[in-house]
Amino acid sequence: MSTATLSNRPFAGTKPPATDNKPRWERAVPVYGVTVITPFFLALVGLAILSLFLTVYREVVGLGPASGMNDKFGWGIWKTFNVVVLTAWGSGAFAVGVVAWAFGRKRLFPLMRMALLTSMLAYACGLCLLGVDVGRPWNFYWVVLPWHWNLHSPMAEIAICMSVYASIPLFLENIPPILERLWHVNVKWQPAVERIEHALHAFFPIIVAAAYLLPAMHQSSLGALMLLAGQRVHPLWQTPFLPLLYVGAATFMSFACVAGTTMLCCLVWKRAMDMEVLDEAARISAWTIFGWLAIRNLDLLFRGSLFTAFHFTSYAGIFWTETILIAYGGWMLLQSLKTHKRQTMFVGYALSSLGGMLYRFSPTTLAYMPGPHAMYFPSTIEILIALGFASIGIAIFLIAVKLLAILPASNQEWRNMAAYYKFRKPAISRNKYLGFFDHNELSLSDKKSH
Amino acid sequence: MSKHPTIEEHLEALGVSRRSFIQLCSVLMATAPAGLALTHKKSVFEIAAAIGKTKRPSVIWLHFQDCTGCTETLLRTSAPDVAHLILDVISLDYHETLMAASGAQAEAALQTAIAQNEGKFVLVVEGSIPMKEDGNYMQLGSKPAVQVLREVAAKSAAVIAIGSCASWGGVPSADPNPTGAVGVDSIITDKPVINLPGCPPNPYNLLGVVLEYVTMGKLPALDEAGRPKFAYERVIHENCPRRAHFDAGRFALAFGDEGHRKGWCLYKMGCKGPVTHAACSTRHFNEIADCWPIGAGIPCVGCTEKDVVWKLGTFETVPIHLATPPDTYPPIYSSVGGVTVAATALVGAVAGVLGGATYVYSQRFESSQEAGEERIEAGQAEKQFDKKSDRKEV
Amino acid sequence: MAITRRELITNIGKAGVPVAVAMTVGPQALQAEELSAPTEPLSLLYDATLCIGCKACESACSAANNTEPDTSGDGLHQAPADLNVFTRNIIKLYKPEDGSPSSFVKRQCMQCFDPGCVAGCPFEALYKDKDDGIVHWDGGKCIGCRYCTISCPYSVPRFQWLGFNPVITKCELCSHRLAKGLKPGCTSVCPTSAVIFGKRSALLLEAKRRIKSNPGHYYQDRVYGETENGGTQALYLSRVPFEKLGLPEIGPTSGPSSTLRWQKRIYSYFALPAVLYVGLVTVIRKNLKGHEQEAHEQEKETGLRAQL
Repeated sequence: MSTATLSNRPFAGTKPPATDNKPRWERAVPVYGVTVITPFFLALVGLAILSLFLTVYREVVGLGPASGMNDKFGWGIWKTFNVVVLTAWGSGAFAVGVVAWAFGRKRLFPLMRMALLTSMLAYACGLCLLGVDVGRPWNFYWVVLPWHWNLHSPMAEIAICMSVYASIPLFLENIPPILERLWHVNVKWQPAVERIEHALHAFFPIIVAAAYLLPAMHQSSLGALMLLAGQRVHPLWQTPFLPLLYVGAATFMSFACVAGTTMLCCLVWKRAMDMEVLDEAARISAWTIFGWLAIRNLDLLFRGSLFTAFHFTSYAGIFWTETILIAYGGWMLLQSLKTHKRQTMFVGYALSSLGGMLYRFSPTTLAYMPGPHAMYFPSTIEILIALGFASIGIAIFLIAVKLLAILPASNQEWRNMAAYYKFRKPAISRNKYLGFFDHNELSLSDKKSH
Repeated sequence: MSKHPTIEEHLEALGVSRRSFIQLCSVLMATAPAGLALTHKKSVFEIAAAIGKTKRPSVIWLHFQDCTGCTETLLRTSAPDVAHLILDVISLDYHETLMAASGAQAEAALQTAIAQNEGKFVLVVEGSIPMKEDGNYMQLGSKPAVQVLREVAAKSAAVIAIGSCASWGGVPSADPNPTGAVGVDSIITDKPVINLPGCPPNPYNLLGVVLEYVTMGKLPALDEAGRPKFAYERVIHENCPRRAHFDAGRFALAFGDEGHRKGWCLYKMGCKGPVTHAACSTRHFNEIADCWPIGAGIPCVGCTEKDVVWKLGTFETVPIHLATPPDTYPPIYSSVGGVTVAATALVGAVAGVLGGATYVYSQRFESSQEAGEERIEAGQAEKQFDKKSDRKEV
Repeated sequence: MAITRRELITNIGKAGVPVAVAMTVGPQALQAEELSAPTEPLSLLYDATLCIGCKACESACSAANNTEPDTSGDGLHQAPADLNVFTRNIIKLYKPEDGSPSSFVKRQCMQCFDPGCVAGCPFEALYKDKDDGIVHWDGGKCIGCRYCTISCPYSVPRFQWLGFNPVITKCELCSHRLAKGLKPGCTSVCPTSAVIFGKRSALLLEAKRRIKSNPGHYYQDRVYGETENGGTQALYLSRVPFEKLGLPEIGPTSGPSSTLRWQKRIYSYFALPAVLYVGLVTVIRKNLKGHEQEAHEQEKETGLRAQL
């Protein structure tokens, strides 16, 4: 196995790689030897189908009977959780991408495909559910007619920006794994695929720069939404810095999503984990978390709202829960760098993203005080639809990691995969369907082994 | 005295006091606070002057399939002067119940009355007109009722159908309507017909219409059913004296119960007030307060309405078409939203599943690393997979 | 020497920054932030001390707007608990437990000068008329996002929760009646003239006249809506504190002006985002070059096709 798997040129702030036998993530490899149809997958599909039926019910009877939303709490978990929280958790394409491509942290490149896929699915499911949530979706065409855009409105910014982002830059960024598969499947398609790949390559900076600018805009606008609610959001959350804090939360949450999901996938499908990459991600996450906590609490201090955290109210309870979760998660991440325990790192990611979710969810619902005697709790149908749409995303993820090269692994793993398909699934191989091995690379490795 | 004296002259000749006449005019004003040009925005003296100048209108009154209740309503006033007054203000030239004549004399009286006032008299019709068997279920002097009506109406100036029977068929028209009873306006279409439904209607409805016609020269404003708006525009419910009880939610539920004895609203006992157009709630009968069905504790049956009185059950409640606010008030902040057990359980279940899965998987992290490294170090995967088949030369 | 594409973009980016900053926070831009007030704002003046709680205004409002009265309570009476899709104005009663003075209050749209609903609405479905200042809802542009229900500090716009073609309902000062020269439904039936309609300037004078001729009669001798929330076209006089009647003491700055200032500035003309975009493109292009070279070398070494 070649040792010079990464460039010998030093990159920003890190030492040259050690020449040892530690596992390295060199390329993305499909998950092989595992069927798509597992009991878990079937459960997800069942939940998804149920939610589609319930969506039809919601469209027919209206939002009232199908959800727990009311006149005082106009937004339910479809907006405040699936969009505000889950798209932030799934904004890895933005956070990991900016760190890797704009700040030059090349070590994070192996995580890019996972980040892109999770983002695509989080945004797609979130936007579809947004379409279910709005009351008059047939008027959504105004999103492409600028003359009635109210540019002062955070809602307009989100609607336009998220739609444009998900349908163009994010989508285009997710095409390379599909093209790669097409290239391997059929020799005849290779010239066309290569032409498309060249085009994508040429426009890469333009697409990707948009893919970082647009999420920065709308993730912050998701925070700006609650600014208009003024005194109705509890002072522990309401601040002019809400947009900035929302972007910051999105950053460490999505790192947790990408790195944590990658760790979980490696665990489940028995892949090796490249601790250099994961350590880098954990380091960046941890410092983002602490920086974020500093900004948030200093802002509270200077605005004179911090004292409310010491009252015996449920709001103070929520504040401390999320602060402790995020801080402890960040601390665990730092600890995992010292102790090299993956368990600590994973739990650190889990806790910090849970805290981040709570933070982004609070101003819209938990810390939103529209008046006395008003309360909101999602109805059963509402919860099922939210779960269903999320499980659509997870189900597609499971299919994608098995069909496309998303999950990072070593070069050797790629060869193992090729060999698996050559020898274990010869019927498929003869159809050229999974023709990973039928081309240059295995002939090259064959030549090598001879 | 001239042959056709004015009302004022006539009353003077009879020795009726001016005070009684003014009283009559003030009752007329109460009849139609708005809607009669005769009484609108006028003082009682102006009304008296207007009426006083008019010649006594000639009225011919025909009875068909009736119970004579509408005539009785004209006569059953609590103060005898008033009844007389009414009869002195209008000139009732033909009325089978009230006149002394009968038989051929009565027939002759009718023809004379028609001839003397042709084109000027007001025809008042009481009772429904049978149409089955060529209208022979009722005959007047050997002529079918429908023929009599047509002949007399042709010479009249206007027709007033007094009572529900003349307005739309009334009691005789109830299922199965064996005589084919209909109201006047089904038969007379070329003369103005004013319907005054009610069983019986209030006599002041008639008086107001007749006087309006003869003093002002025109008929009062009518609704789509030909009823004068001043008396039939509103439903009983709108002006009912028991409305406060309705608005407060105090309902009598059975005859003689506590609510009934206290005079509470009769809606839940089947009062048809909300769907019945009539003025009974403001003008009671016989000039006695509370002398009307609801005042006596009997739910209104809707006697003026064709679609109500013989179509709905006596104790059947009717929908409120024009809902109005009650006498209770909402607080500044109302409670909104709630939580169900099922939803809480579902959230708890999801949280449990996710938390549990995180815990379980986090425990497995150490052991898997070794497995992954083994596979990498194995590196000889091809040989591993290659046990079963021959490797082909590529 | 010929200028390379990269240099061109870089230079544009460098020059663009000061321009963008000037465009967003320069004096002209800040001046343009001033809201233009309606030319002849129309108002309601509600004097809670004159209101007898007859609720004729509730009935008249339903009739004037051709809306079925809300009888969902007992099926017999129009008794909504709050504003909703059938109820554009409502009379509520403030009755304290301790026996201190109670009061009725009429709640409907405040027709603010700087409405939170208009500021938040993404496609201008809610818009404020330039002349009379009435805030209208246009169903042709509304997507039903319900942001207006959140951004209104008075919780006025109400969404239709039943049915598949939901609307947003709120008082629009009976503009269809105004067009015919009639007054709004509520003011045309109020028996005590507790609520009256007219030009805001005139009604404000009237309110102040009442305060002056009855010193100490009205709460804090002030008219609610004169400056609250940036000024509203629905004016209130009351004996009891306004907060007890559900009218929040927000202060003189409107919600949008205090919270969305920076949002407006940062996005004005899209200048700052454009500059950021150019910067990103430059940096990514540089990193891409390096990445491409490495990937090419790897391909040669390992024989495996490079992945982007």
